[in-house]
Parts: sequence; C-alpha cells; structure tokens
Amino acid sequence: MGIISLEHTDRLYWLGRYTERVYTTLRLYTERYDELIDAEPLAYQRFCTDLDIPDVYGSKECFEEKYPFDTMDPNSIISNLNRAYDNAVVLREEIGSEVLSYIQLAIYDIQTAYSSKDMLMGLQEVLDHILAFWGIADDMIESEQVRNIIKTGKRIERLDLYARLEMPASYLIREVDRMRFRLERSGMDYKKSYVEDLIRLVKEEKIDYYRIVNEVETILEV
Amino acid sequence: MKEMCDVASLLENSGTINKLLARYGVKFGIYKNGQFKEQLFPFDAIPRVIGHEEFRYLEKGLKQRVLALNLFLRDIYSDKKIVKDGVIPEDFIFASSGYMAECEGICPPKGIYSHISGIDLVQAKDKNWYILEDNLRVPSGASYPMIARGLCRRSSPGTFEKIPVEDNRNYAELLRKTLDHVNVGGHTVILTPGRYNAAYFEHSYLAERTGAHLVSGNDLMVEGDKLYFIDYKGRKETVGAVYRRISDDYLDPMNFVPESLIGVPHIFDVFKKGNVALLNAPGNGVADDKGIYYFVPRMIRYYLDEEPVLHNAPTYLPFYEEDMKYTLENFDRLVLKDVAEAGGYGVVFGSSMTKQQKADFIALLKREPRRFIAQEVIDFLDIDIMENGNPVPRKADLRAFVLMGEEPMVWKSGLTRFSRNPDSFIVNSSQGGGFKDTWVLSR
Repeated sequence: MGIISLEHTDRLYWLGRYTERVYTTLRLYTERYDELIDAEPLAYQRFCTDLDIPDVYGSKECFEEKYPFDTMDPNSIISNLNRAYDNAVVLREEIGSEVLSYIQLAIYDIQTAYSSKDMLMGLQEVLDHILAFWGIADDMIESEQVRNIIKTGKRIERLDLYARLEMPASYLIREVDRMRFRLERSGMDYKKSYVEDLIRLVKEEKIDYYRIVNEVETILEV
Repeated sequence: MKEMCDVASLLENSGTINKLLARYGVKFGIYKNGQFKEQLFPFDAIPRVIGHEEFRYLEKGLKQRVLALNLFLRDIYSDKKIVKDGVIPEDFIFASSGYMAECEGICPPKGIYSHISGIDLVQAKDKNWYILEDNLRVPSGASYPMIARGLCRRSSPGTFEKIPVEDNRNYAELLRKTLDHVNVGGHTVILTPGRYNAAYFEHSYLAERTGAHLVSGNDLMVEGDKLYFIDYKGRKETVGAVYRRISDDYLDPMNFVPESLIGVPHIFDVFKKGNVALLNAPGNGVADDKGIYYFVPRMIRYYLDEEPVLHNAPTYLPFYEEDMKYTLENFDRLVLKDVAEAGGYGVVFGSSMTKQQKADFIALLKREPRRFIAQEVIDFLDIDIMENGNPVPRKADLRAFVLMGEEPMVWKSGLTRFSRNPDSFIVNSSQGGGFKDTWVLSR
C-alpha cells in the first residue's frame, strides 16, 4: 500500500460521496421533473421529504430552478457538485489530471445548463461526465487503495440515499453487499458489527429505514 | 519565417487549446476585495521561438549566473569573503530583508542553496538579452508551458512534425533528478500552503508529474531530529527532501513567524542538522534582492573569474552618491523599483509621474536610498499575440528555469509572460498578463 495522509483519505472518501450524491439526486430530479408535469403544484414537497431536506422553495417553479442551480442552497445539486470539486482539486496527484478533468467538465456543464434553454439536456451532460469520471477513475487510478476509498464513499452514500428514499429491499441488499466489499478493501477502519447489522436489517420483513441511515452514517466512526 | 507558416495551424486551434487548458484546470488563484477567485491563465498560441545557437548562448550565461549565485549564498552564510574583500558593501547583505541570521553556518545537503532558479530576462529591440531579476526563493511558472505543450501537440500535431522543437515536457523529470540528488534518505514531498495559494495548480501538477507526495504542514511532524510524513493510520515515514512552496517566514512557526499555521514546527532544526533537504534553502532571499542584483556581474568575476555572459539591465544604486546624482538627473527616463516588492508591484516609471508625485518620490528616495534601484527602460522587443483574430505586438519577458542537480541544467523552454495591455510593461499574471509557450529549436 502507498502512503496516504489522513486528509487525503478523508477527501477521497468525500469525493466518492459527493459525486454519488450528485448522480443519484440528479437522476431523481429528472424523474420527478417529469412527474411534476402532471402532478398538483405542491407535489414537489414529497421530493424534499424523501431526501430529508428543508422545503425552502415555496413553489414548483422555484424548486425546479433552485434545486439544481442555487449555490446558496447547501442541499442543491450545484452545491454538492462544488463540494465534489473542492475535494477533487486537492487530489490531483492521487487521482491524476485526466480523472480530475471530468469533475471540472461537470462543473462547466452545470454552469452552462443554468443559462441554457434546454436545461434538462444540459444536466444530462453533468450525469454523463460523472459517469465518465467513475469509469476513468476505475481505469486510470493506479493505486487500488485510492480507488477503493473513493468507491467506499460512493457505496456508503448510495446506501444512505436509498435508505432515505425507502427503496425496496432488493436494492438495499445489493447496496449493502457492494458497500461491504469496498469497506473490506479500503484499508479504512470501520465498525464491522454494523455491517453484520445492516445485512440483517435489509432482509427484515419490515425494514427499519431510519436505523439503516443511522448505522450507515456512523459506520466509519471508530 | 518558415516556422510561422507551420504555426498557422496551431493558431487555428487556439480556441481548442484554451478549452483544453480550462478542462485540466490550468488556473491561478487571486485575491480581489478580500475574496479568493480562481482564474484561467490566458494562453496565447503564438510561441516565443529561440534558435538553437541563441539558446546555447543563454544556457551558458544562465548556468554561469546560477553557479555564482550559489557560491555567493554559501559564502554569505559562512566566511563572507566577498564582503571582506570589499566587492559588495555589507549594507547590502545585512540590511536585506532576505538575509536570515538563523542560516549562519548552515551548509545544506551537497552545498546547494538554489536548486530551482527562475531567471527573468527580456530581449531588447537590438536583440540583446538582459537579465531583469533572479528568483531564488520559490519561483513558479514552469508547469504552465509544460502542460500547454502537450495540449498544443494534441491540437496541432503537424506543427511539431515540421518544426524541430525541443520537448519541454521533461521538466518534471529534471525536477525529480534535482530532488533526488539532495534527498538525504526518505520520501520526497512537495509542501504547499494549500489550495488558496496563487500557484496551487502548479504545486499539485508538479506533484502528479514527479511522483512526489503533495503535503500540507499538518501532514508532517518533527520528532527526534527527523522529519516524518504521517499517514492516515498514524504511521510515520521518514522524509528526505522537501520541495517547499512556502516562503521562509512561514516555514517554521518555532523559528520564524510564530503565527504561521501553514508551516511545520521545528522543520528548520531538522534542516540545520542535515537530516532533510529543503528546496530551495532558507535564506536565499539575500541573493535575489533587487539591490543585490546590481552586484551579480561582480560575483561572477569574483567567484568564477569569468566575464558575465549575460548582462543586467543598466542599473543604478541611489545608495552610491554618483548613482543618486545620475538617477536624479535622468529621473524621467528611468524605471524605479522598490527592492522589497515583487510580482510587478513597487515599480514606477519616472515619465508617468505628476510633478507632485515626482517630488514626493524623490524625497523618499533621498530618505531611503537603499530601498530603491533605478534602471534604464529597456526597449523591449515586442512579441505578437492574437487579439480578436489579429496579431498585435505586446511586451513580454521570459522566465528561464535552471535546476541544480549534480550539475546545473537549463530547461529547454521557459515561461513567456506577456502584458495584455498595449501600454504596459507589467507582465505578471496577478496583474492580468497571459502566457505563451517557449520553443527552443533543436537544430
């Protein structure tokens, strides 16, 4: 294993988490945007409730504009993408310029999408570049440890989001398994008993989503 | 010029190159109204072209200059023969803000003080090159032409098939050699003040290209006369060389500015004991002071017993009565520089002052003659840049990089900076300047 500082480990992990948060929330936003065409005006509030974010929007129109693009809203997609960039930009020598460039491209995409008439198509480019980032990270980052730390962040974030969204058991079972696999390879310290708990929790007849979120959020607090 | 025809396709792709530079985050940081902003460093695709023979001449002069400056630093922090022999007045040594009494008696690994030197030159209309200043502390800028070259080659491969240009992408290799040469055993790290430093792109890019670890002060610790890198499990790994991109003052809060949060407590003590190499060595500021610049030709004669190959811009020291007289008599055609300033700041042109400003400045000059130098305004050879699709002439300088490994190595390229303002001589990026690639022809 190469040597990685505590700060870089933390940043690699959060790079994984924020890129995943952008990816999943953006996909969800696009789906809900479609649903909102036919739904009653305040139906967007369900999105906020599902993601456990405050409704600071007040109207469907405001939500549709601010949730992806408002840099002053800490829960917006652009804020999460900026945090992904803040972590990535200090990891150039760990992940490489080529890999970093896909986060930079996603930043340009979201800025362009905001001023575009075809906003959803612009946001699709953000998704494309996040996907390309993961692909090239897998392909070009030489250190297995670095790759595993990023992916651990990604898997923890996805399980967290899926539990908040109360996704079906089959999704959670798969995500717990992926998270366990990455944690074991990351070299990071984690609560092994929580992994066992989570495997059990996602298979229960009545899933305790709240507990899953709690355990996922604290699994690295050793 | 044949080269310029082959450059045409490169110019057609100028937009693509700038797009690629944006993609790879080739930026510099700047503080405006107390706020940090990242800006793209504007790139102009018309290269500065230096002929093979012309570069050999520059190379010879640059090696000579950096060798003499290193010998000067070794002398100043030990025997001070150059002062004792009356070649340089002691006022210019001990009153210099770059002189550090803490460095007295310390000999860095392999006796090298300035491992990475950035020497700024300009070419005058008569085609003569003049040295403008020496940067021996933390000179920056090599990463920009290095990354730009790769992108230019990608955008316009035909240009490089036709023109025999020395490949400048070996800078990281030269730097690594330089770092390894003085490493006393252990890891090599690049110490950065952090993301909000103006040159952070360069720190991270050079770390990537050299394979060194990019670290901040918190990642390092001193224990038992050794410097260690602490990994995420708390394990300690010995560090043998630190390419520090932090100024002397902030390097070590226990020895220098105590409020520094970006340095490493006691790192200077480890350096003193010879247990780590610091690149560049602390205390180098005494040799790149604008006042000391005046004496570099004398240093070359004194230490190397050679005539300087490259010349300084004609410079006057108002400290000397005769030079003060000349400066006052010719005030309107001289440029005056505050020796304590850098980055294009503290530079005033006599011709651009109002009557009152001139009177105030002369009073200050008489009160603090050691603080200023006066120079003849060099009639720069303008270089074309593209503006709205048309070539327009602009002032430009050249920062050449000399790396001191087993022997001095001059990087076959350099950072050409230009002013975007047609009426300005100031080329610094912090003041709106852009950059060009520098081509050295291989034959």
